[in-house]
Amino acid sequence: MGTVKVLEATGIKKHFGGVVALANGNLICHSGRITGLLGANGSGKSTMSKIIAGVYSADAGEIKLSNKLVRYRNPNEARKDGIAMVFQNLSLVADLTVWQNVVLGAEEKKRLFLNDTAAKDIAREIIDQLLPDLDIQKVVHELNPGEMQIVEIAKAISAKPKLLILDEPTAALGQAQVRSLFRYMKTLAERGVAIVFTSHRLWEVMEICDYVTIFRNGENAGSIDFSRDGKDPEKIVDYITGEMLKAKVKKKRSAATSEVVLSVTDLNYGGVLKDVAIELKKGEILGIGGLAGQGQHELMLALAGNYAGIDCHAEINGKRIRLNRPANAIRNSILLVPGDRQLEGLFLKHSLFTNIIFPKLGLRRQPLFTPRRKYRSECEQVVDVLSIVAHSLDMPVSELSGGNQQKVVVGKWLSFDTNVLLLADPAKGVDVGAKRDLYEYIVNQVQEKKMSVILYASDNEELIEYCDRLMIMYEGQIVAILEGDEINDDTIVAASLRVR
Amino acid sequence: MDRVSGKAVAANSSALKRFVSKPDFSRLLILAVMLAITAVLQQNFFEIKAIVRNVNAFTPLILLTMGQAVVIISGGLDLSVGTALSLLTCVLTTVMKKADPVTGAYALAAAFAVAMLIAVINGIGIGYLRIPPVIVTFATSFMWLGIALFLRPTPGGETVDWFRAFYNPGSVEGMPAFVKALGAVIPPALILVLIGYALWFVIRRTRTGRYIYAVGSNNESAYESGINTAWVQMRACMINSVFIFLAALFFVGQNQSGDARMGDPLTLRAIAAAVVGGIALTGGRGSVYFALVGALILSFVSKIIFFANIANAYQTFFNGVIVIVAIAGSHGYTLYTRRTKEASKLT
Amino acid sequence: MSVVMSQPLGALYKIYDRYKKLIIALLLIVFLFVLGEVTVSNFLSLGQILLTWKLASFIALFGLCQMSVIASGGSGLDLSVGYTATMTAVFTAAVMDGQNANLWMAVLVALGVGIIVGFLNGVLTAYAKLPPLVVTLAMSNILQGVIDVYTAGRNITGKPSPVLQILAAKSTGIFPHILFVLLIITPIVMIILYRTKWGLMLFGAGSNETTAYLSGVSVKMVRCIAFVISGVLASLVGLLLIGNMGMAFKDMGSNYVMPSIAAAVVGGVSLTGGDGNYLGVILGAVFLQTLTNLLVAAGWGDAGKWLGFGIVLFALLIVYVSNRRGR
Repeated sequence: MGTVKVLEATGIKKHFGGVVALANGNLICHSGRITGLLGANGSGKSTMSKIIAGVYSADAGEIKLSNKLVRYRNPNEARKDGIAMVFQNLSLVADLTVWQNVVLGAEEKKRLFLNDTAAKDIAREIIDQLLPDLDIQKVVHELNPGEMQIVEIAKAISAKPKLLILDEPTAALGQAQVRSLFRYMKTLAERGVAIVFTSHRLWEVMEICDYVTIFRNGENAGSIDFSRDGKDPEKIVDYITGEMLKAKVKKKRSAATSEVVLSVTDLNYGGVLKDVAIELKKGEILGIGGLAGQGQHELMLALAGNYAGIDCHAEINGKRIRLNRPANAIRNSILLVPGDRQLEGLFLKHSLFTNIIFPKLGLRRQPLFTPRRKYRSECEQVVDVLSIVAHSLDMPVSELSGGNQQKVVVGKWLSFDTNVLLLADPAKGVDVGAKRDLYEYIVNQVQEKKMSVILYASDNEELIEYCDRLMIMYEGQIVAILEGDEINDDTIVAASLRVR
Repeated sequence: MDRVSGKAVAANSSALKRFVSKPDFSRLLILAVMLAITAVLQQNFFEIKAIVRNVNAFTPLILLTMGQAVVIISGGLDLSVGTALSLLTCVLTTVMKKADPVTGAYALAAAFAVAMLIAVINGIGIGYLRIPPVIVTFATSFMWLGIALFLRPTPGGETVDWFRAFYNPGSVEGMPAFVKALGAVIPPALILVLIGYALWFVIRRTRTGRYIYAVGSNNESAYESGINTAWVQMRACMINSVFIFLAALFFVGQNQSGDARMGDPLTLRAIAAAVVGGIALTGGRGSVYFALVGALILSFVSKIIFFANIANAYQTFFNGVIVIVAIAGSHGYTLYTRRTKEASKLT
Repeated sequence: MSVVMSQPLGALYKIYDRYKKLIIALLLIVFLFVLGEVTVSNFLSLGQILLTWKLASFIALFGLCQMSVIASGGSGLDLSVGYTATMTAVFTAAVMDGQNANLWMAVLVALGVGIIVGFLNGVLTAYAKLPPLVVTLAMSNILQGVIDVYTAGRNITGKPSPVLQILAAKSTGIFPHILFVLLIITPIVMIILYRTKWGLMLFGAGSNETTAYLSGVSVKMVRCIAFVISGVLASLVGLLLIGNMGMAFKDMGSNYVMPSIAAAVVGGVSLTGGDGNYLGVILGAVFLQTLTNLLVAAGWGDAGKWLGFGIVLFALLIVYVSNRRGR
């Protein structure tokens, strides 16, 4: 069967603020073919999908749909043209039934009224292929995440798209459901639908895809046609990491001692974290890595005491503690620099001063009247130590650059004695200079004060450069621990994809 | 064939089981209890006259509750229903002139137009401007109050003779005899409620009905699916206005006067009744038909207080307590199901 | 967003930006007075202005209750302030009985009432997570009911202590004493809000729950305490109300609820929380009272007052709060 070029995207550029997500993105999709998209965190692959689906608009470049130039301002326009994208549980209405959700926004009418029979038929036809036992009359909030994902996929398919983009559709699915999905994808491909598929499970990509396009640093790093070039996971890892980075010299001496400062075992939370065990040595920088969304963010929050219902055994310096409230963690000098600084780490409307001194207010036995002068001089010290660029302590933090905002978030804890510093992606969206300042400070504290650090970074470079040990997470579990010289791009990517 | 019918039977008995465990069942149970107690306390409860009187007494709250239910399901809340109702009564009694029967028709048209205007303004605030509904309808409630006071600084006004048919056709001269007889048995109040029911019955089967639930349950998802959420919420306000309009017809038919403050106590009661009737304040859930049960429960409680000779003073007190209990209970249930929803969601 | 401006102009712009809402409120008041002078003669006289301030003071005090609750976040609002004040006035009327001797007892009753009501509101909203607007609305109903039961079949006897009357009702020359009350309270409030840890915790909890929680602050407790403060303040204002009126009656406080919220909104208190300046609330109260006086003087009466309130509040909501979808 002859295939037709359904989508051709060339020279796509996209930046967010000062960060370049795509420098030169290209993608070609043919009807009836399943294309896999792979790449490390921040490689630009998900940005590429979202631009094609109309969620973002490209800064530059061309997108041609069936050889016609298109430019979408929102996902609805893309949908009307036959491009459907499935996210994770983004567009379901919890209080409507499965079939109502599948046809939502595109209901058929019989004169004035809704044609429920037709709707149910449409839903049944698709759901039967994906999950035959699912009762389409069930209300969506009664479903488990896997079932919800199936409904989400069904909804996209019901729009009869020409191009279907599936972004991590298997994350919540069990083996059997994945098989059903793959069978249906093959059926759709036979009908001529072009499909783009991403997954963190390499075996899935190798099984279902015809081609794979790999992104690195905002550009295409390579393409593999499985039918022509065969399926070699090592080659994929090579493309993702890039040959040149293989020989990377490991850095300076570690400051880690053999004393265990934080020990956590049997950490389980809501299916998102499974049997996680961590042993942090004093003076060590322990890294957490892996593909995005494997539970790293949640792990950091859990260690900071954010989850009241958490189930684990935790000890700090040998003393048993409960991680059910942030105040508990803070009292034991486990301090968190959260992953999303605007949502979790700052009071945007308020001044540097307020932001920096705020955690002090939660401590016991604090003076009623905030000792302004003392605090102000402490703040000035913070600004100095971290080289924060701001013209006044009273300016609102919303006016600072990303890097300086992050410094404020770190600066909050400067005057605290720190046992364990939890860093959740501290350099995300931060400019090079601020990144250097931050890490300089952290390494300094580790070496001089024997502070212990757990560092989650989405950028492998940081993990390679600073970590003494590195734990790779995959689907909520720790699947690999790399030490010292073992830590390089190649081993990290391989472990993240579970190749080795 | 056997497998199909076997499955059907199994489905039916499990459906029954599911129904009994649902909160709706306990609501009906409470209603039955309230009804029983009232029947005991009110001697002539089962006489036609008493039933008619009860229906008349309950109707305004029933209508307002149903309208409020629609707004709440769509993700809004309307704190201006009470003053809106008052305003409509003032409009009716100002436009109508006793001497000229035609003014009755003008009054109907005028009041309906005002009702729609109220809906549009509330709808713009809630739907387009996306100001928190509680605050924006709080503000608009004073606009309606002001205009109502302007039209009718003191209760009064005029009505045409035939308007009383909305309350009691028997009292209107020139009514055909069979209508009068019918009116004695089936009070117009009931018909107004049925009109409301019919309206919702129709709408429920259209896109608007479905979208009202979608928007209320998850505004973002609805928007992502291409639904014009602002317009849907505006339409919910319009439906509410129709119910308020019907209630105004009844009130003016009954009292032949307009009063700018008559609706004040009804606002909170309507919200409470909706919640008691199973409408979740968070939106997207509940049945408008069932909201009627909530209104009935609250109305019977009032009757019980009255007949049990508890001081009238306690009425307001109990109103407040019931609201809190109802909301706490309903919220608890919603929170429970949402929490299980949230815990199972991927982060 | 860097604009090159000459130094003094740049500084002026900075002041404008920070105090934007205060300045707008002030300008609105001036505008109203000018309008009043033009349409109704004798509007702009010292006596008139001071009278406006006197009446506005009560609104401003209730506005402080609202600010406490609104700034703490979580869509906080307190609709029960009116009946809290009324209940205190009604209960303490007999206690005081026109004497100064029992004033201390009246104050204790007021504190008790305020703490209990505030605590109930706080627990139901912060811990049980029920919507504050509906909870406080229901609470005001409950309080109304309690008052109804208490006053059923008996007249409310009792007069306020002379001290209260001096504070609330009397003036020295043309200067109403209540203004002094406000003048004393305001700096205390400002200090508490901006110089103590409570104030900062309050604004933090309202500005960003997650950040505050992750910084070790119990957001639920902060919000609960905010309601207790609101209740206690409202209750104490009840004492001033009875001092002003000379007696207690069942509906004393209801007319202050809506204006107190409006004053907060006009004064720039962000309805989502985390923000607000008490000076703004005071100006907001003055603005609303001036508006009322203007409408009354122009012969619009009750109707105009409510309509005016409604429109002004709606317009301000559009400007301050609307959240139009722009993609």
